[in-house]
Amino acid sequence: MGLGVSTFGASLTMTQKSLHLRLGIAVSLGALFLILHAIPNYVYAPSNVRNIILSPLFWPYVVAGLTAIIGLSLLFTAFRPGEDVPFENEDVVHSDGITPWLRLAGLGAIMLVTMFALPRVGMVWTTMLVFVACAFMFRTRHPIAAVVCAVVVPLLLYAFFAHVAGVAIPQGDFVRLP
Amino acid sequence: MSLMDSLAAGFALVGNIEAFFMLFVGLVVGVVAGAIPGLSATMAVALTLPFTFAMTPINAILLLLGVYKGGIFGGSIPAILIKTPGTPASSATILDGHPMAERGEAGRALGMALYASCTADAVSNLALILFAGWLASFALNFGPPEFFALILFSLTIIAGVSGESLLRGALSALAGLLLATVGLDLVYGTNRFTFGSPNMMGGLNFIAVLIGLFAIPEIIAMAWNPVAHLGKTRALGKSRCSWADYAKSFKSIIRGSMIGVFLGSIPGIGAAPAAFLSYSEARRTSKNQANFGKGEIEGVAASEAGNNGVAGATLIPLLALGVPGDVITAIIIGAFMVHGLQPGPMMFVLNVDIIYGLFIGLIVSSVFLLFVGSLAIRGFRFVADVPKRILMPGVLVLCIYGVFAVNNNIFDVGVMFAMGWVGYIMMRNRIPAAPFLIAFILGPLLEDNFRQAMLMSGSDPIILFRGPITWFFWALTLLTVFAITRSTLRKKVPLS
Amino acid sequence: MRLRTLGSVLALGVGLTAGAAVAEYPERPINMIIPYGAGGATDISARTIAEPLGTAAGRPLIMANVTGAGGATGSVAVQNAKPDGYTMLFARVGSHSVNPAMKATLPYTLDDFRFVTVYEINPVACAVRPDSGIDSMDDLVAKVAEGGVSYSSSGVGSLLHLAGAMVLKEFGVEDPLNEATHIPQQGGGAAATAVLNGTATFICTNTSALANFVSNDQLKALMVTTETPVVGFDAPTANDLGKPRLNALVGWTGIAGPAGLPDDVSAKWGEWINSAAQDAEFNETMQSMGSVIDVMSPEEAVDFINNQYSVFRALVDELGMRVEG
Repeated sequence: MGLGVSTFGASLTMTQKSLHLRLGIAVSLGALFLILHAIPNYVYAPSNVRNIILSPLFWPYVVAGLTAIIGLSLLFTAFRPGEDVPFENEDVVHSDGITPWLRLAGLGAIMLVTMFALPRVGMVWTTMLVFVACAFMFRTRHPIAAVVCAVVVPLLLYAFFAHVAGVAIPQGDFVRLP
Repeated sequence: MSLMDSLAAGFALVGNIEAFFMLFVGLVVGVVAGAIPGLSATMAVALTLPFTFAMTPINAILLLLGVYKGGIFGGSIPAILIKTPGTPASSATILDGHPMAERGEAGRALGMALYASCTADAVSNLALILFAGWLASFALNFGPPEFFALILFSLTIIAGVSGESLLRGALSALAGLLLATVGLDLVYGTNRFTFGSPNMMGGLNFIAVLIGLFAIPEIIAMAWNPVAHLGKTRALGKSRCSWADYAKSFKSIIRGSMIGVFLGSIPGIGAAPAAFLSYSEARRTSKNQANFGKGEIEGVAASEAGNNGVAGATLIPLLALGVPGDVITAIIIGAFMVHGLQPGPMMFVLNVDIIYGLFIGLIVSSVFLLFVGSLAIRGFRFVADVPKRILMPGVLVLCIYGVFAVNNNIFDVGVMFAMGWVGYIMMRNRIPAAPFLIAFILGPLLEDNFRQAMLMSGSDPIILFRGPITWFFWALTLLTVFAITRSTLRKKVPLS
Repeated sequence: MRLRTLGSVLALGVGLTAGAAVAEYPERPINMIIPYGAGGATDISARTIAEPLGTAAGRPLIMANVTGAGGATGSVAVQNAKPDGYTMLFARVGSHSVNPAMKATLPYTLDDFRFVTVYEINPVACAVRPDSGIDSMDDLVAKVAEGGVSYSSSGVGSLLHLAGAMVLKEFGVEDPLNEATHIPQQGGGAAATAVLNGTATFICTNTSALANFVSNDQLKALMVTTETPVVGFDAPTANDLGKPRLNALVGWTGIAGPAGLPDDVSAKWGEWINSAAQDAEFNETMQSMGSVIDVMSPEEAVDFINNQYSVFRALVDELGMRVEG
């Protein structure tokens, strides 16, 4: 959890070295995963490849190898002797405790629901809900304006995209707009 | 026919209100479409094409060119105002344009974007008119080995946009290279990281990745801390681009235009790399190097000059060779053919009146763009005054519509969301997003041209050094790498 | 632009109120999926026929480009759509005969679609650079024997890829895959450019993609695959050269729905396409692009595609061109 939380949220006293340590570990592991598992299993090469440099596998392996080098370099800079300076202008506020995390989770949930609802409910209705949900999650100071915008903006966008640009905006199974 | 006769014939063609009106309409449509994320210049041109079938050839082509040029400039408006590039070409404009808007200088940034665009457009058109034949025959010398060397050199841009740490910039670029491998392999047609999904087979949509990487993290950051923006001026205010700003950036604008013309005349590169290359050159030579990426007006000027410099120059291979330089010019070739015109060397003999008519129209278009652009800036300036906590949900909704519209595919909306979280994690870990994007664009080009070169030579790497053009770019690459290494060792550019 | 759409919106509103009693297909606009990018041959062909076709159908057709994976992404979108006739596909030679013949992992087969028509045929021509010293197909074959011959295409599984191999094979090259090199490019425009700048030796593709290069003397046509000569191409036909089997090597565009498309919908499309093909502007535009208008009934279309598919499939199996991964 420690690594996960800090990768996401940046710990209070993030310094160059702590950041590079974290990134170095993550990147090196990622490169190993690519080389040992992902590339052999998810990149297909035909059996009759004449030359290794023409193989579909060649370039992914090159990229993965370079990633490993960068990962190790990050680790090197993390352990290199020398002064460690904390970053300036970190504007991360932590006083709220868990609420920022809840809002992040909330936004993630909104996105998941959006993906589910777009083909079923239709883009216009879904985006209206997305607008309202986001505006209130961001604790807007203009709730009435937010609701009005939530209705008007998707309708305007629909009118523009569907009727001027001729895009087949998903309509959903329930209420269809002209 | 003498030059005067040709000019006269050209004037006869465009010398009516209708032709100029079409150009103007095209510019308006283009700027509006470009300003809407997802509705890129490419789409706008494609959507306009069917309306041109019934027009006279010159009106049709001028309308399409207007849409094209307007679209490339229009893309910079949302890039500056809401950090969402309207077209891929304007992604470099974000780097300094959006920080300026955050500082309350959106008007200044937009003004500079417009002036740089118009200047570059004019330079590009002049290059087309004066050097078309010469540049086109030069461009035809670009085979896969030359492309490979050029793109390898272009990848050194990454050092220029890495910001505070070269290592983290390189990490970002590698992530971009990796993501760009998703899809079908070019040479063998096999699946790479597609996990059996037909949506993944086409590769990840570029616009979805782009918007996901730049616009969505802003929205996620707002969920993390909805009041972070309070106390900062955002309103457009009275800030305007002054003559002094323009004069100060003039060198970068001209250099950016040249880069745009050069890359534009070579088929297959496109406007986004030109903008990034111009940006990194401006940064490299600027006295305010440290201020780049934090809202340096010269950065806006350079990127906009770079991408608009391409717009006129892509017509060079189109008119002189009949070869489309990018998707947009491919559509415009379609328009030529529908009207029974065959772009190519013979067109300069058979349809010289149309060629000169086009030239005249192009020159006028730079002036029109200045006019339409300043109207558009006035029209869109209210965006900067919208309360941010209402603006952001609106941006999210706009992005959903826009990304869907690019390829009519809901899957792309999912790609945008996923990339948004990737972008957010990168932002929190101080990993710059620009190298990711450059690598995502250039990576496939690098790989494809490398493999095409290997196919040509039967896997003999000597072909990568086959002529003066390749030597030139290899030398440039080596020089740049040497310069970067030296300044890293001297701690001028931080490695870590 | 706005005026016209406003008109269609109004017409739609009237239609909704008037037509509420008889719920007859089509009640609402029809989504037409174009599986290739804007500005390509398929796109221009589709958008040109959309106008008269929409008039015949009485409802607007909404064009949607869904590109990717050589037409597979868009085709799958229609394969998985409800077979109610409101989502139809502009199928193309690449997506519906070359790809199924070549790709083992393709997520669809021809049986997943019900074709209502094939409405245009695009002849195929092979061309080289005029200064290449190749003046005929025999010269080309001789050159292949010397080695170093390559051909460009718009990617694996495109018509161009198969055409290059098929033409060489027909002209007696035993193993075209190893005797000549296939150099795939990103897209048809890039494929033609590759021959122009000497990256590849020859290209076989739709005449429309070559017309301007041939008329500008930048490329020289060696042959066309049709029975009859093609206007603007001063080259022998496949039949002149005694290779009538190459007649199967043509491009086409058709319209298909998902497999479960009802009979009455299919019949409606048959009527519409016949009246749309009478449209003068459509004919003029398509002919200027070098295509031959040939409206087939659903049965003819299926026969035509299956015939082409089996020719291609036989060739693919014989040469071992099938992509398995």
